[in-house]
Amino acid sequence: MFTDFLSDIFSDNREKDALVWQDRKYLYAFLLNAFQDWRKKLDESGIAKNSVVLLEADFSPNALALMLSLIEHECIVVPFTTSVKSKKAEFCEIAQIEHIISIDENDMVSFEKIYSQADHDLLRQLKERRHPGLILFSSGSTGKSKAALHDFAPLLEKFKIRRNAMRTLTFLLFDHIGGINTLLHTLSNAGCIVTVQDRSPESVCKTIEKHKVQLLPTSPTFIALLLLSEAYRNYDSSSLELVTYGTEVMPESTLKKFHECFPNVRLLQTYGLSEIGIMRSKSESSNSLWMKIGGQGIQTRIAEGILQIKTPSAMLGYLNAPSPFTQDGWFDTGDKVEVNGDYIRILGRESEIINVGGEKVWPVEIEEVIQMMPGVEDVAVCGVKSPITGQMVQASVKLNSDETLSDFRKRMRTFCKDKLASFKIPQKVILTDHAFHGGRFKKMRIGN
Amino acid sequence: MGEKILDIIISQAKELNEQLTNKISVEQGADAPLFGRGGVLDSIALVTLVVAVEQAIEDEFDTALTIADEKAMSQKVSPFRTVGSLSEYVQKLIKGEI
Repeated sequence: MFTDFLSDIFSDNREKDALVWQDRKYLYAFLLNAFQDWRKKLDESGIAKNSVVLLEADFSPNALALMLSLIEHECIVVPFTTSVKSKKAEFCEIAQIEHIISIDENDMVSFEKIYSQADHDLLRQLKERRHPGLILFSSGSTGKSKAALHDFAPLLEKFKIRRNAMRTLTFLLFDHIGGINTLLHTLSNAGCIVTVQDRSPESVCKTIEKHKVQLLPTSPTFIALLLLSEAYRNYDSSSLELVTYGTEVMPESTLKKFHECFPNVRLLQTYGLSEIGIMRSKSESSNSLWMKIGGQGIQTRIAEGILQIKTPSAMLGYLNAPSPFTQDGWFDTGDKVEVNGDYIRILGRESEIINVGGEKVWPVEIEEVIQMMPGVEDVAVCGVKSPITGQMVQASVKLNSDETLSDFRKRMRTFCKDKLASFKIPQKVILTDHAFHGGRFKKMRIGN
Repeated sequence: MGEKILDIIISQAKELNEQLTNKISVEQGADAPLFGRGGVLDSIALVTLVVAVEQAIEDEFDTALTIADEKAMSQKVSPFRTVGSLSEYVQKLIKGEI
């Protein structure tokens, strides 16, 4: 019932590529079969309808088919990837997992029954509605992971409107709202999902060339990494039409450089959060950070500079944290924005603001400037405690030379002098030799 | 050691001066006012100087040092008055007298 529209699309496009996995192609006919197969097996498997199921997988033929079958089986699905392996026990407990389905790297499936009964109020409500659900854990780069529970039915609604089908690389992870969105968007338009074994610039570029990828949904951090690596020079990326980016603020310097290197590729900023799903967005222009966000039934408003959103696809709530909704049902995104007519520009997470003696500093604004300095490979800015100014600005910098800290600091101060207010010039600089992103290619800023 | 620390502070002050409108009068040596009465630094510039000194001391003496912390802030007489007072404070810190 919930996925009938997908079955229809699959049977209308039997001869089209649905998936490229480990360089092998799978047609929609195959996917449809696998889907129907798993639906039968689930009925016989002893997994009761409405169970809470952890699906430990990456994008693979069985993972796709099982995800859809679990939705049809009215289960509450918790997608899980090895990137958070150490948190498995914690997630199982928070989400009150009743069954675990694991799919290994050879696409072999195994089942495990966990002896617990999901009785959380929100889970019970959803079970009584007899709707499938989705639980997404926030990445927890700051603090404890929060479990956002969605009713899958309204989430699926927007995919019933047909849009462009594209050959899409699944860069974002299977357990991320962006990854789930890529999956459903591609399948509901009979596009093709192209998977990658690893998410290095080299491997991504190679896959784009080999499988004629048209759409790459990714993050600003990966775009910066791609440009730095120059991996794209060794491969033909002429099939690429669109790169979408969300999840964090894009430094203007990266945006400019991207257009220089990929003049024929359109860039589109998306806006989404685990709690409210992915919004449709329209950038003012391809090289602008200003965008309009909206979509069916989506309303936005700004309260004290913070973006609030009301959408039918919002989660029901957190399983392990108080409700972040206002009394009249708006979700407080925590993202500070600038407004210009209908357009907004995301400045950053409110929680990432550094407060230097009462002056507000946005990490990304400083990273942008330092990133422009020759020799700087990567930079992450955060606030650290200072008894004098409350917090001070600390820049961790990765250089591609053996310049000393003292030489770099001098050069940085001179460079920043006419570009940043004095309180924004990092008071503390650390040189490091590791990159600042995790498996999700989202910048990690650690401070206090 | 005292000389060495004083040199480090003065050299960091000179470096910071390039960024400042109100410059530290490094030609006064140990007597150059920093923060507070007669001082030229605002809080941001002070933090910048102190952190740079911390890092330079770390390089020179191979010892991790936090100059600006609650202890420094609660000294009867501020260690941040002059280049000299800062130098004395740093010496005491290194010797473990504070």
